[in-house]
Amino acid sequence: MVVSKMNKDAQMRAAINQKLIETGERELLKELLRAKLIECGWKDQLKAHCKEVIKEKVLEHVTVDDLVPEITPKGRALVPESVKKELLQRIRTFLAQHASL
Amino acid sequence: MMQQQCRRDGGRAEARPPTLPSAPGSFVSPHPTVGRQLLKLVPTVQRGPGLWALFLNPLPCCRPLCYEQSERRLHKSLQMKMEEMSLSGLDNSKLEAIAQEIYADLVEDSCLGFCFEVHRAVKCGYFFLDDTDPDSMKDFEIVDQPGLDIFGQVFNQWKSKECVCPNCSRSIAASRFAPHLEKCLGMGRNSSRIANRRIANSNNMNKSESDQEDNDDINDNDWSYGSEKKAKKRKSDKNPNSPRRSKSLKHKNGFSVCTSASNTLPLLFSSSGELSNSDPFKYNNSTGISYETLGPEELRSLLTTQCGVISEHTKKMCTRSLRCPQHTDEQRRAVRIYFLGPSAVLPEVESSLDNDSFDMTDSQALISRLQWDGSSDLSPSDSGSSKTSENQGWGLGTNSSESRKTKKKKSHLSLVGTASGLGSNKKKKPKPPAPPTPSIYDDIN
Repeated sequence: MVVSKMNKDAQMRAAINQKLIETGERELLKELLRAKLIECGWKDQLKAHCKEVIKEKVLEHVTVDDLVPEITPKGRALVPESVKKELLQRIRTFLAQHASL
Repeated sequence: MMQQQCRRDGGRAEARPPTLPSAPGSFVSPHPTVGRQLLKLVPTVQRGPGLWALFLNPLPCCRPLCYEQSERRLHKSLQMKMEEMSLSGLDNSKLEAIAQEIYADLVEDSCLGFCFEVHRAVKCGYFFLDDTDPDSMKDFEIVDQPGLDIFGQVFNQWKSKECVCPNCSRSIAASRFAPHLEKCLGMGRNSSRIANRRIANSNNMNKSESDQEDNDDINDNDWSYGSEKKAKKRKSDKNPNSPRRSKSLKHKNGFSVCTSASNTLPLLFSSSGELSNSDPFKYNNSTGISYETLGPEELRSLLTTQCGVISEHTKKMCTRSLRCPQHTDEQRRAVRIYFLGPSAVLPEVESSLDNDSFDMTDSQALISRLQWDGSSDLSPSDSGSSKTSENQGWGLGTNSSESRKTKKKKSHLSLVGTASGLGSNKKKKPKPPAPPTPSIYDDIN
């Protein structure tokens, strides 16, 4: 039964994701998030952090794999609260609209 | 197809579309497995009535033996879905968790995208381009203090500053500097316009010294009040190109000149200044003529061309034309008699060219002149009682032919007394009291 419950959840999540993509809401949300992050200066902050990281590394060729584990957690942490709230609000609205298929 | 067996959970496991992997950047690939599953469905189209459900929830199982089982599964899946929907409606915490998951996915997408951008920038070599040496960085650092802009400059710093003009070495306010320089250097549109106008006016002036008409506008020097002069002179500096100027200049009519004199004054002043310089007569303050310093010959010639009426306030002779509306012909005649003797005749009598200023006919003018004589019994300072003096003047005029020799003082004073009255009357009515004269006569007599 636990498995089925897990499956149910997973299935629900899958369905919701599918709905997100189909309606184009995911793209909208992505663009919105990107714009907001640039506005609030998140991108510049992260860029400065990147510069430090790369200078420290002093590698000839920095690869994506090098960067990702350094940058992603910092990026997640740097997102301002207002942006997070707004985005969550939009997702919830979408779920409320589309949960009753 | 053989691989696909009717398993309770196996089918479902396969049937469930897998979650999309987080694609880097903004590229979203289409669902990889849906297509495959749809393809698998093709051979099952020929199957039984439960097929419609397969499209909803494509099952890998399509063998005829599993038909019943598939139907059962179908029902169950539908039920599950119904439950799920109702669950999702009720279970807010789950919804919240899902929302959080979606949010986390989105943020991770953005971070990944950013990583790719940075990596590309590093590889292409433009990542560190905006970094310069630390000294320059400090010089151009963004300033964030109150009262300053981001460059560190004070707002409105140049409003109150004064600049020194390189031409005239005067200190001018910064905001007025450009127009001043334009005029000072004589470049720019406005200054050339002013210059052209001045030249045109000076040409007119030189032409019309003998022409009486123009002198009306130009030779208006006989202002009673000094403050008025100053105020009007200041006005001359303001707007040399205002349209009002050109309008008022067109008014050669004597009456309108009085009202629009303020507009025409600047030109008048400038040109009168020129006149005074070129004129052989002796001028004081370039506003009027002080008759004490003039010789008889000069006086005569002056009186033939100009009004010459002596203003009570400034004791100077009016330099306007013979048709000057401020003074009457009687005043002019009296002045001439005063200066040149009783035989003096107004030049106007000889040259009756145009009657622009006054609407009086010649005959009426003659009558009024004749009637004017001998107002010696009047008290001159009574400008308020101008009418009475006027009437008496008219009345006494019956003895005009005999009493031509009027006493100098009284005639002079009475001149002034009635001048204001007559002048003011003339301003209002074009026809001075010539028409009512017969009636006045009757009353007095």
